[in-house]
Amino acid sequence: MSFNRREFITVAAVTTTATGISRTALAQLTERKYPVTKIAKASDLKTGEPLSFSYPDDNAPSYLVKLGRPAQGGVGKDKDIVAFSSLCTHMGCPVKFQESRFVCPCHFSQFDPAVNGQCYQGLATEYLPQIRLRIDEAGDILAEGIDGLIWGRIENKS
Amino acid sequence: MSVYERRDSLPIPPKDAKAQNTVCQYCTVGCGYVVYTWPVGKSGGLSPEKNAFGVDLSQPQVALEGLCYTESMHALIQSANGQHMNVAIVPAADSPINLKRDHSSRGATNALTTYSGARPTRERLKTPLLRVGKALVPISWEEAVAVLAGVIQGVSDKFGPDALCAKATDHGGGGGGFENNYAIGKLFFTGLQMKNVAIHNRPAYNSEVWGSRDRGVHELHYTAEDARLCDTLVLWGANSYETASVFYTEHMLPNFQSQTQAEKKKVFSAGEPLEPMRMIVVDPRKTSSVAIPQSLAAERVLHLRPNLGTDVVLTNAVARVIWEKGYADRSMIDQRSDTTTFADYQAKSLMTETAYAAFLAEAEKITGVPRADIEKAAEWMAKPKSDKFRRRSLIIYEKGMIWNQRNYDTIAALVQMAVLGGNIGREGTGCGRQGGHQEGYVRPGYPGVRPPPNVDKYLMEGNGKFYWVIGTNPYLTTPRSQQFRKSINARTSALTRAIASAVKSTAPAKRVEQVLSALASSSGLFMVVSDLYLTETARDAHLVLPAAGWGEMNLTSINCNSRLLRLYERFMDPPGQAKPDWEILALTARKLEEAYTKAGKAEQAKQFSGFSWKTDEEVFQAGAQEFPDNTLDEKGAESLPCETYKGVTYALLRSLGQKGIQTPVRKDPATGALVGTPRRYGKRFGTPDGKFKWYGTDPWSGFPAEVAKYFQGGKEKTYTFWLTTGRNQHIWQTGYHDQHIAQKMAAVPLPYVEIHPEDAKKLGVKAGDMVEVYNEEGSSNFQVHVTDAPKPGLIFALQYHPRGTANHLTSPYTDAKTTIPWYKGTRVAVRKAPSPATKVPATSPLAGNHFR
Repeated sequence: MSFNRREFITVAAVTTTATGISRTALAQLTERKYPVTKIAKASDLKTGEPLSFSYPDDNAPSYLVKLGRPAQGGVGKDKDIVAFSSLCTHMGCPVKFQESRFVCPCHFSQFDPAVNGQCYQGLATEYLPQIRLRIDEAGDILAEGIDGLIWGRIENKS
Repeated sequence: MSVYERRDSLPIPPKDAKAQNTVCQYCTVGCGYVVYTWPVGKSGGLSPEKNAFGVDLSQPQVALEGLCYTESMHALIQSANGQHMNVAIVPAADSPINLKRDHSSRGATNALTTYSGARPTRERLKTPLLRVGKALVPISWEEAVAVLAGVIQGVSDKFGPDALCAKATDHGGGGGGFENNYAIGKLFFTGLQMKNVAIHNRPAYNSEVWGSRDRGVHELHYTAEDARLCDTLVLWGANSYETASVFYTEHMLPNFQSQTQAEKKKVFSAGEPLEPMRMIVVDPRKTSSVAIPQSLAAERVLHLRPNLGTDVVLTNAVARVIWEKGYADRSMIDQRSDTTTFADYQAKSLMTETAYAAFLAEAEKITGVPRADIEKAAEWMAKPKSDKFRRRSLIIYEKGMIWNQRNYDTIAALVQMAVLGGNIGREGTGCGRQGGHQEGYVRPGYPGVRPPPNVDKYLMEGNGKFYWVIGTNPYLTTPRSQQFRKSINARTSALTRAIASAVKSTAPAKRVEQVLSALASSSGLFMVVSDLYLTETARDAHLVLPAAGWGEMNLTSINCNSRLLRLYERFMDPPGQAKPDWEILALTARKLEEAYTKAGKAEQAKQFSGFSWKTDEEVFQAGAQEFPDNTLDEKGAESLPCETYKGVTYALLRSLGQKGIQTPVRKDPATGALVGTPRRYGKRFGTPDGKFKWYGTDPWSGFPAEVAKYFQGGKEKTYTFWLTTGRNQHIWQTGYHDQHIAQKMAAVPLPYVEIHPEDAKKLGVKAGDMVEVYNEEGSSNFQVHVTDAPKPGLIFALQYHPRGTANHLTSPYTDAKTTIPWYKGTRVAVRKAPSPATKVPATSPLAGNHFR
């Protein structure tokens, strides 16, 4: 496995024991390339004010948000900056950020951005796909992969 | 980084993947699904003509319109011959129930519940197991059936049929269905003449709604469409968003959001006012089912929060207002009800002898619901829309009413309130159950009396010698389950010890002999459990039988919102030697027939005849013979049992697919065609004379002794909280499957209690802490959720969870008229408990009922 600055090979968290994937199927699933994309400067983010962006391509609406409380997978000094696909994992409606949570206006599923995008109430099963972040030396927030399938796609990469 | 393992692509079913119709295995709603299976190694393409979905997968799907195929909807399985297969279980596009492919977080994980040696479902039972000391030893079906039938025969002959006890599923959906239910009834009631049988979670063999059926109203009579057409929707003791999610989001909410106006126009009479839907929710908690409509249009939502156990008073109070204010439907009373019984209802339930103001003051005092709200509820439910047009109110109730104190009177009060206001038999009206699970009841008559014996109590007092538990887990689900568990464990252990001192061979004949002699000389109990997994109850059993599950046999069931009968097709093999319940029952019956024949007891042998079924459809057709002749016109069909499906075949159901047919099904006398029933009681009620029967309630006498004791003798200082219980949206019942699904267990890792912020402060607990909740019945530990869903002084506990159950705390009270427990109310004390050594990861502390 090799890494370079522009393109990472991300190993999706799939193993034979947990999902029953055979070796052949595993080969299709384990290696996926995601672009590394600059989203914003960490210093520009205001707590509780989400920023829209698209990742991993131009047709994948996502939110970057500084929560003001530590979050699973959070980056930054306070480990509170997280990013998610903003399509509800239930039926694809765009979720809204309100009072530290994401709420879907269609069927009212609610997701906790501090807990891996967990759907703690509602009709959605999967947690919101969480976008992996990193902050580089210049203070830029970089997206560099996704955990979970974006709603409506057969694969994340378009 | 994820708290559970995620995927970022899904396999594509090729064009020639096998596609089969099914219905979700879980809740009452009965969403339609399509199952695709195809060999591993084969893959479809992105273009519509290259995949079985017939969908262009190169483009993202359109929200609310497109294919719903998400991570949890795919899994790998293995056929009995070892071939690896893909299975994708996706919401059907053509279901009249889950429109637009809607689905809940329960149904979306159907694929993950399939058996696989490589996933946590590997825990499924695969062979019969026989207890030898502490061990459970795998044995063959031949030996298992020989032991089972031998013990049954011996116990029945030696101790009489009343020594045979059982607790068995009687429902539809996964694991149940007409096929399995019929086999259970035929063996227990016709074959063994058993009276000591109880229905899954309950202590007895009863209906939860005799209070309605005795009036001439079967609880399933409305249709999902009625939720789209009503002027007022009443959810009484039902939190449908959480527990019947897709019925709520696809049929109730669209009406509340005025999206069904065009449908109303088609059905309503000319000139009838079209008003925005109002919603009344009667629930002590502020659940999401009330918080969602409040966030959309609070002025059209009325939330009544009665004190626990007082719904019977509240219901009769609303009815009194309907009567007093002249909202009652006179023509319904005069022409369609038995007026000779009305005076009793007037005197005892409406209490018309008591002055209106004094009556309402008393009702307000008992229920804690303000008089103004009681009056508003009556107005919203029954005040005519104009001189010419009555309101159309659909009243849906569930466990908050059923599992209340005084089950019979509570249910009777509600259906009478509905009929008094004319809210039955027309489009947009009805007074029926939401339902918990689906239904599929067909059995010969229960040979016991009414009210039926409390089998839990019977066993706990040392009676009975044999106990067969089928598809249920009473160690978690029965009332006062901690004491039940201790008692059953003591009795099964006593038998195990007694056998251990006898001969060592496990050969069936020897084993039967040992068991019978040990049963004669000890307080022991021989317990048999048939289930999918080695449940808490099964761990104490002497014989464990592996049952086939949903998708591993053909099944038929109806849902509760429309009585929609559909075929749930078999799409995979059961694990190991597992068999459908009906087959296990039939094997046992045939063995008994053989044994009695051999013993020269021809009369007894005859009781076990007719079990020679080869296929699931043969059982379905045998069950159909229990129903009366259904060659009837529409009016005549009102008296048919709700489930009547005589004449329906699997072939018909296959051709109808997701469309199904609504029971009762009748055969039209003119055309000979099978006709379903969209809605019931438009012309007559289900009584011999077709008239609704009124009933006068017993007077209010406070709480039953089993709960009232906590207010006396100083106990009121210790047991300072009310406790009520219910389900979580993501978890199905005891979590028998969900405990094997990572995203669910990460979200709900432990049983939890909801505590109001004021109480949390007083107790010194915060979200995520552990508390012990206890009373004189038992104790259980819970994680704390801090939320304003319960009022101060009231605690809500998740009913069941693989890590604990709230039923340890339930009182032993049952309604004298029905033997139905009051699961949903008792008094408890709470103490802060030390938290587990490892921090519980990944549980959101956010309140589920907060939308803006």
